[in-house]
Amino acid sequence: MPGLARAVRPARIARVARVVRVDARRGSLLTAVPLLALLGAVAGWRELPEGFRDWDSVVGAAEASVRWSGPTAAGLAAWTGMSGRHLDYLRALTARSPAAAPLHDLALLSAVALTGYLAGALVVAAPVLPGGGFRETHLLGVLAGAGTLALYVAAGYLAGLSWAHPLAVALTVAAAAAWVALRPEGSWTVLLPPSLTGPADLFDAPRAGVLAAQLCWAAGLAAALVLGHLAWITRRRLLLGGVLLALSATALGTARIHAADGVASHPSQVKRVCRHWPVSVCVHPSLAAALPSLSAAVAPLAARLSGTPDAIVRIEQRSGREPASFDAGTVGFHLPDLSPGYARRAVHEIESTLARCPAPPTGLQAQVSAWLRDDPVPHLPDTPFTRWSETQRRAWLALRYAEFRSCSLVSVRHRPRPA
Amino acid sequence: MIVETSAVVARGLGVRHGARWVLRPSSFGLPGGLVGIAGPDRSDRSDLLATLATLRRPHAGRLEVLGLDVRTRAALRRLRTRIGFLPARARWAAGFTVHDLVSYAAYYQRRSPSTVRDVLTALELDDAAAWPYGELPADLRVRAGLAAACVHRPEIAFLEEPLTLLGEAARADLVPLLAGLAPTVVVTAPAAEWLIPWCDHVYVLERTRLVPAGEAAAPPAPPARERRPEPRHGHWHLVRGPQRRLRRATVP
Repeated sequence: MPGLARAVRPARIARVARVVRVDARRGSLLTAVPLLALLGAVAGWRELPEGFRDWDSVVGAAEASVRWSGPTAAGLAAWTGMSGRHLDYLRALTARSPAAAPLHDLALLSAVALTGYLAGALVVAAPVLPGGGFRETHLLGVLAGAGTLALYVAAGYLAGLSWAHPLAVALTVAAAAAWVALRPEGSWTVLLPPSLTGPADLFDAPRAGVLAAQLCWAAGLAAALVLGHLAWITRRRLLLGGVLLALSATALGTARIHAADGVASHPSQVKRVCRHWPVSVCVHPSLAAALPSLSAAVAPLAARLSGTPDAIVRIEQRSGREPASFDAGTVGFHLPDLSPGYARRAVHEIESTLARCPAPPTGLQAQVSAWLRDDPVPHLPDTPFTRWSETQRRAWLALRYAEFRSCSLVSVRHRPRPA
Repeated sequence: MIVETSAVVARGLGVRHGARWVLRPSSFGLPGGLVGIAGPDRSDRSDLLATLATLRRPHAGRLEVLGLDVRTRAALRRLRTRIGFLPARARWAAGFTVHDLVSYAAYYQRRSPSTVRDVLTALELDDAAAWPYGELPADLRVRAGLAAACVHRPEIAFLEEPLTLLGEAARADLVPLLAGLAPTVVVTAPAAEWLIPWCDHVYVLERTRLVPAGEAAAPPAPPARERRPEPRHGHWHLVRGPQRRLRRATVP
């Protein structure tokens, strides 16, 4: 305890703070925080699905942002490592342990990189913060991203320290970027940090085991690099035990990631939210805001199909793994994001599941399809259908629905009674 | 020549710069006092000085500094607390105040803030303490560098080109300070003529050999030499020159 009391004496803290301030200014690290935060926020934003966000997508975007901020942080760390060599005359000819200076630098660089990362993630997460719902899996995702960033920092710093040449900085950035760009798609290595998988399906949840393995891999490798360097400069064999432990963690992480075979998420049970008027429409809770416009868009289709064998009872959003379907009045459709026109796209998808046409429909079939979708009905060919009232069309469709479904509507044979 | 009192003893010491020999394997001893090393090539002088200061590994041979073999990790660790080093340039420090620079060095030498004050006073830097290092005139910049390099009162100081950028008067002011920094002070300069007036011993690094200079020719009597006090270990020695006063330029 006396040691602790000595360590937290204000005068001592002030001295350490002065050293940290000098080191931070020397490496322009205070400029790096907003730069990394901005980079992380922009990169994360690009990974978000359009029109909505939930914690799964936000955490996925934060992890993905490391693909951009990681090489930048590695370059910054390499630069700091390189410039740190110019201070050997003060920091190597020292009464302190030779490990003091690299540990100072690494702690400072990690703090800078992680602050930038978290600030960027907070910007992306701002809209979902008030709603709560942050789970342990999300924490693991954030930590996996942080661990990856720490690995970039450690590798970059040691590269700059080992070869104090500006070329080392450029090579570090190039190598870090190559690690992101050159991993083959479809192989299990896409899950090695930073993972290269795209946004997960809304009805999937990230696999906690994979996230933990990624954290293990990145943190283990970062720790092995740092401890290995410290063991080298201090000649303490005890540290080699730490290196072995850290490498074991990395090996374990590699095995777990390899076993995952490139699959980062698994199907999860999601209770959909519904709106029951004018027609029952159910979607993923993250898309609840889309219910009014979806309902309004599918209402004409539902109304026009009433009286046919495919009368709609319920419209339900499906996972990307399941095909769109029409089963006993329940329609499945896809809605991956809320980019402009999403409601019209949903109606088109539902309508296209009704008739199984081998090629884009033409003639009367195309006119009926357009009417069902509530699109403008083509004027050509000139058929009576184009001149009928809404009621006449509905009555006629109820009679000829089987032909419509089989995509064999050619001519208007049964004229409905005028309304 | 190696004698029992040599502060630096090299046996078959070889120093390379890339593929080129800076110093071919040779044996020599550097005595205590103010020792000068001259040579036409700046990077060669720099490489040799950094090797003697244990900042670079020798490429051949053995090196003992203050009686400690630099190949032994424990000895090197002990030795490094007793060495001070001043590089020719410290561009990284340009934006920092003199006080920050010296405090930074003091932190790594486990020295208290009072030591910082003492060394600033001893080197007549009190008035310049709040000035950015990069804005100081050359002589004060050297003093600030010396304060950082020797805040821990080393037993041997290696100073790279401390006199090169100074005028004659500033050089005369500085040399007594240099001699008081440590019992053994090794300085480098482009030519032996720069060092002979001030140094107890001068060596020339020429054609990859380190040879004593000016043994045959008696060097001219140094004008400022009488002002140099005898070095005493563990204390700051200072010849008080005219007190410097620095004021920031005030904008009307």
